[in-house]
This record gives sequence, structure tokens and C-alpha cells, in this order.
Amino acid sequence: MIEVVLFKSDSCAFCPRAEEVVREAIENFGSDVFTLKVINVSENPEAAEEYGIFALPTVMIGGVSVTGIPEPDMLMKMVLGTKAMKKRKVRSK
Amino acid sequence: MSDHVIDRVKTGIPGLDDLIEGGFPRGDTILVAGKAGTGKSILATQFIYKGAIEYNEPGVFVTLEEPPHLIKRNMMQFGMDLEKLEREKKISIVDLSPSKEVAPVTIGEYPSFDLSGLEAIILNHVKKLNAKRVVLDTLSIMAYKFKSRDILREEFFKLTANITRTGCTLLLTSEIPAQDQGLGVFDIEAFLASGVIVLYNEKISDTSRSRSIEVLKLRGSKHSSRIHSMRITDEGIRVWPGEISPGH
Repeated sequence: MIEVVLFKSDSCAFCPRAEEVVREAIENFGSDVFTLKVINVSENPEAAEEYGIFALPTVMIGGVSVTGIPEPDMLMKMVLGTKAMKKRKVRSK
Repeated sequence: MSDHVIDRVKTGIPGLDDLIEGGFPRGDTILVAGKAGTGKSILATQFIYKGAIEYNEPGVFVTLEEPPHLIKRNMMQFGMDLEKLEREKKISIVDLSPSKEVAPVTIGEYPSFDLSGLEAIILNHVKKLNAKRVVLDTLSIMAYKFKSRDILREEFFKLTANITRTGCTLLLTSEIPAQDQGLGVFDIEAFLASGVIVLYNEKISDTSRSRSIEVLKLRGSKHSSRIHSMRITDEGIRVWPGEISPGH
């Protein structure tokens, strides 16, 4: 399973749209491969501090992130990057 | 003039309060600007340290640049034990420096974001400590972290307003690029703050430099309009109110 993390807040005007885009993208990619974890920074500021997330919305997949409402193509690139990294790790074992 | 007296926050920098009618107006945003190596971070850290230890005002130091272990090591040479104050819950050092290992690598940015993440992180610490002072060191690093400067400029106004709304006095540091005449990389730094302090470390001969400090503006205060001598001593930064800088 690949974890997609969306950081949002109660006051962020762009976050609801970002969440829609991410949910749609996950549906299209195949929801059995991905899990979506939504972190509301207004309720859990410690998580934003841990990952150093200043700007919202931010989507994090693997060790990379995008800020702002993402385009589905960008999410696809991040997913492919994560998959490639996983394969590389398996090969190197 | 009326008899109304503005509540002042002691800066913790010996000599500086004499230039500004006793301290920064409480709840204001103050910008400390200067080129690299002028002492901005030391002044900002001293503001937090002395606030906690001498004036019983807890403080939050948000570092966007230097990792906390280096700040603590460097301030120990002035006898300021930040680690101890952190343990005693008198200050918080919030590590948002680029050295954080778990921080993801940003590979894309769309111009549809705000800084509510940074705001939530800071306000969480303010609430936990019941802080009266906040430092953001340094604003300039945001220019390298994000491309959308127009959004940042707008967001800075919101961020500073929401921090000072809690009653905290906010001190921002800003690095002036080497050949620049302004007060920072965003060109709006002076508008963000009701007070602006500029630090200098000017070459005065082939073999020496002279440190100095200027209060460029401080709303609601009759401040000195001179440039005064400043030194980094064994006990931190000290200003000589009666001494005019030889470099100016």
C-alpha cells in the first residue's frame, strides 16, 4: 500500500478543493493500492511541526511533497516516483 | 500629547531600551534587519532568553534557518543556557530549519496555498507556554522555500496579525542581501512591522569593522534618530546609547 498524506487546516480556503482532487486521483489510480491519510493541522499542529509543513494544502507521498491544489498529473508523477524508489530498494536488498 | 502611556516590553539588550522610551510597545511587530553577520539572530535570541529569565515572559523562538543545537551551542558562549529554560518550560525552540530529517522534499508548488500550517505550529506553542514573546528567525528563508512571493507577502500580514492578536510581541529578523539598499528580499518587510531596527557591521578601515544599531522607526515612540555603537560582548549584545557609531 502507498500512503498519500494530505495536510489541511480549518481556515485554509484551498484545502477542500485539494482534498477532492486527491480523492478523485486515488479512485483513478486504483483505491486498493493507496490509502489516504488526512491530517487537519488545526487539530494536530504537532504533525505539521514534525514534517516541517508551513503551507497548506500540502500533499506528501513517500519523501516528496507538493504545495497548493495539485494537478492529477503531478500526483501521478509522485506515485510513479514512489513506486520506482520502492523497486530500487527491493533490488538493492 | 495626552498622558496615555504605552505598555512597553523590555528588550533585554542593555542600552537599547534607552533609545526607545523603555522598550518595544507590547503586542507590536518589530523587524530586525541587517546584512549577514550583523548579529540579528543573537539579538533575537537574547530578546527571548532575557524575557524569560529577567521579566518572567515565556517566549517561543521559531528557527527557519539554524538548527536548534547550533543556536544553543552559540548562545552558551554568552552564558545563556537555552536548554535549561526549555526544560523549565519557559521557552520553546521550534525547529523548522531545513536540517529536519523527516521533512519531505518539495517538488511542486501551485499558487493556491496559505501559511496556516506555520501559523498553527506557532500558535500551538504560544498557547502551551502562555508566551508573551515570539521570534521568527529568519523571514528571508521563505523566499528560498517558496516561489510565489505575492502569496507570501499577503500571508505574512495575516500571520503577524494572528500572532500579535494573542498579545505577544513579535520580533522578525530579515537578512538584507549584500548589495541591497532595502530591508529584505520581499520589499514589504518595513510595512509588516510597526518598528524597524537595523544592525550594521561596517568596514571602517582596512583592518577593522564597527558594529552599530539604528532605530529606523518605532510607531508611538520618540526614538533616537542617531546610529549608536553596539558590541557583541561575553554577555551578548550591548548598545551604548551615548556613543555615536564612528562608522557613520
